[in-house]
Amino acid sequence: MTEVEIREEYQLVELAKKNSKAFGTLYEKYFDRIFNYIYRQTDDEDLTADLCSQTFLNALNNLNRFEFRGLPLSAWFYRIAANEVNKHYRKKKTDRVFSIEEVRVKELMDQGHEGWDEELVKQLLGFLKELPTEMLEVLELRFFEDKDFKEIAFILDITESGAKMRTYRALDRLRKQFNLSIKYDGKK
Amino acid sequence: MSAGNIARHRNYGDIIERHERDQKWKRMFRVFIYFLIVAFLSIILVIVVRWEKRKQVKAVAQSNLVTYSAFPPGLL
Repeated sequence: MTEVEIREEYQLVELAKKNSKAFGTLYEKYFDRIFNYIYRQTDDEDLTADLCSQTFLNALNNLNRFEFRGLPLSAWFYRIAANEVNKHYRKKKTDRVFSIEEVRVKELMDQGHEGWDEELVKQLLGFLKELPTEMLEVLELRFFEDKDFKEIAFILDITESGAKMRTYRALDRLRKQFNLSIKYDGKK
Repeated sequence: MSAGNIARHRNYGDIIERHERDQKWKRMFRVFIYFLIVAFLSIILVIVVRWEKRKQVKAVAQSNLVTYSAFPPGLL
């Protein structure tokens, strides 16, 4: 997202602060992404719908507190969504779910490597299941949501170096597990 | 998940309705807090005024007592 686009969004936010009806444009723009993000962490359509509504309601209620930090507005929505999901799991005291669609993994794999077959994708999904939650969270935001480390740090309320470290550790595990030579951010 | 499935869950009207309800509650809560503050300050004011009054009455009574005790009968 360019600086100009981010500024345009902030103008929309300023408008929405005065008239809550203007929030509709932002809702329409980000609903699908936030819904998918929550759905991957709950695997329950109705629960996702509830949490997603709560996310946008919280955003609307706290719009006056929102301030420009040079990040896209979506990062703020993701952060609220992540907090809502965390709150839900804390309240229910159930194990966290990470649902990663096989199709999406294949898409990602096809972007980088052509030699990925069904078996390897299944192994990869198995590997992802074994990863700790904090690593999965970072990987999800980095590769499924295409966020940069600054945004990931803001969304998960961690430092930028912490986000990088988690990603590299997960990728290191992946390299070792599959005996791969993945080139990522200039590192091999 | 398909876009059609997701679209089923869009409910902006409901969110706006809930937001307006929340804002109404917030306003009511704010008014209640202001009322509490005003009530508390009024009580403090009443207590202070009464205390001042009582202090004044006591001072007058004490000054009368001093006048009589300073000049006992038969001394002058």
